[in-house]
Amino acid sequence: MVNEFIDGIIEAFVLLFSFDLEVWGIILLSLRVSGTAIFVATLVSLPIGSFIALRGFRGKKALTNLINTFMGFPPVVMGLLIFLLLSKSGPLGSLGLLYSPTAMIAAQLFLAIPIIIGTSKAAIESINPDLKETILNLGANERQLWWELIKESKKSIIAGILVAFGQAISEVGAVMIVGGNIRWNTRTFTTSIVLQTRMGEFGMAMALGLILIIITFSLNYILTHLQMRDK
Amino acid sequence: MNLLEVQNISKDFLKNDDSLQNVLSDISFTVKKGECFTIIGPNGSGKTTLLRILGLVENPTDGKILYLGKEMTNLSRKEKTKFRRRISFVRQKPVVMNSSVEKNIAYGLKVRGVEEREIQQKTKEIIKIVGLTGLEKKNARTLSGGEMQRVAIAMNFIIDPEIYLLDEVSANLDPKNISLLEEFITSIKEDRQKTIIMSTHDRMEAIKFADRIAVLNNGRFTQIGPPNEIFISPKDEFSALFVGYENIFPGIAEIDEKTGLNQVRINDIVITASSQVEGEVKVCIRPESIGIVKEPPKNTSYRNTFKGQIENIRDLGNICHVIVKCGPEKFLTTITQLSKEKLGLKKGTEVFINFKATDVKLL
Repeated sequence: MVNEFIDGIIEAFVLLFSFDLEVWGIILLSLRVSGTAIFVATLVSLPIGSFIALRGFRGKKALTNLINTFMGFPPVVMGLLIFLLLSKSGPLGSLGLLYSPTAMIAAQLFLAIPIIIGTSKAAIESINPDLKETILNLGANERQLWWELIKESKKSIIAGILVAFGQAISEVGAVMIVGGNIRWNTRTFTTSIVLQTRMGEFGMAMALGLILIIITFSLNYILTHLQMRDK
Repeated sequence: MNLLEVQNISKDFLKNDDSLQNVLSDISFTVKKGECFTIIGPNGSGKTTLLRILGLVENPTDGKILYLGKEMTNLSRKEKTKFRRRISFVRQKPVVMNSSVEKNIAYGLKVRGVEEREIQQKTKEIIKIVGLTGLEKKNARTLSGGEMQRVAIAMNFIIDPEIYLLDEVSANLDPKNISLLEEFITSIKEDRQKTIIMSTHDRMEAIKFADRIAVLNNGRFTQIGPPNEIFISPKDEFSALFVGYENIFPGIAEIDEKTGLNQVRINDIVITASSQVEGEVKVCIRPESIGIVKEPPKNTSYRNTFKGQIENIRDLGNICHVIVKCGPEKFLTTITQLSKEKLGLKKGTEVFINFKATDVKLL
């Protein structure tokens, strides 16, 4: 057992530093899929989150509850839903997107949206109401107020985006279902680690696991740093 | 046309337990262009809520607000922004944005789309006036309370709007900053003829600037009128206790070169004051400082003696208030019940009032 662990680590470093095409292909694909998903999710969620935070409307409480529920939506179920949507007999089956990186982006996108909406809404709501009124009284219109409040809460918003990215990149179930873990095409960190472990190829699994850990550790480092600077 | 007209506004806040808390009820008043309207009342009487409603950042539960005849309560967001840009609101506890002093001060002009060069020039000017030179690049959040209040003053005064809302702005200031603020208020009122609606719980501040005063108690206006009316004849016990009594007259002070005495002209009468303030002033004399005699006094140290007629006497137990009319001016005096009876004072009695030049305060 110990030997396998040490062999695994040695092989991991060999794979990483010999620039093994398959390993680096997986790393780049994972970053591309999760990066795109989070980027698009941010573009969609930031306006929605701040709109909900700034405006009072009927059903706001219900919508908030819904978003909070979706923030903890089980990824496997999201994978299943996207699968049904994209499968040949599904409503969007004709697009032929099942088992493609796009399908994986879609799954991660829908998982990330409620997280970013929820965190940005909370961030903007936590701003001192006197500051909002001061900005309005200084003559800001709604768009200018919105932009000022985003700037005001940028640390919390960035933290929300990082959390969403961390969840997306380390998520297994959904990408496995909709991506299909196809070699050279839809194989990511997580799906690859599952497969290699089952096959006893601990070197590759360790190499990928190491990179994934480095990524999540750096995210957490940045997060803590952001929160420390807030104080 | 009135610049501002407030019709029967009320405000209820929803409390956490879903019950309603009434903060303002049935408030009505008008403000003319160039007027200084002062709301005086204790903490928690609803002053800030009223100003927030006038600043168009809070809707009244009921009633109407008209700026230049236009109804504000059902405007679109866009229209509201347009009107908000004609008003500035200096808060009691200033809040600043998480950026440099310079950027905070320039913000009001920036959102109005003023040209960058003009913004820079005006910002530089006002930073010098409020004494923040050297702190331009500093984050405004890291400043001390007094410095932050100066930033807040600069942020609002740089906009130069038609209407200024000032919410107890001097409450948290040290004397140095208070005099800076008072200079500012004087300059916008006298030089620029702007309209000011301010709230305060400081009677001297109210006397100094107000053209009219409204007394706010428990969310209701108990009295509205010019300062001399409020301070001479409070309508109810609350006004009397909270506002207190004071004789106030607007006048023009000029120091006589020959005698060196300060002569303050108030319509037909001239009052001698020991204070050296000149120009347009408000003359304040406490009712206790004014004495009443029946015969013209001879060889007295009182510099001010006026003949008048008693218009009214209010009995208040041991003491009584005597209102004496000297020409068009009314003076309120306080004397003991005993001396009232000794002198045989009644409504209509002709008397002389007198007071020392040192008891005349000029604001």
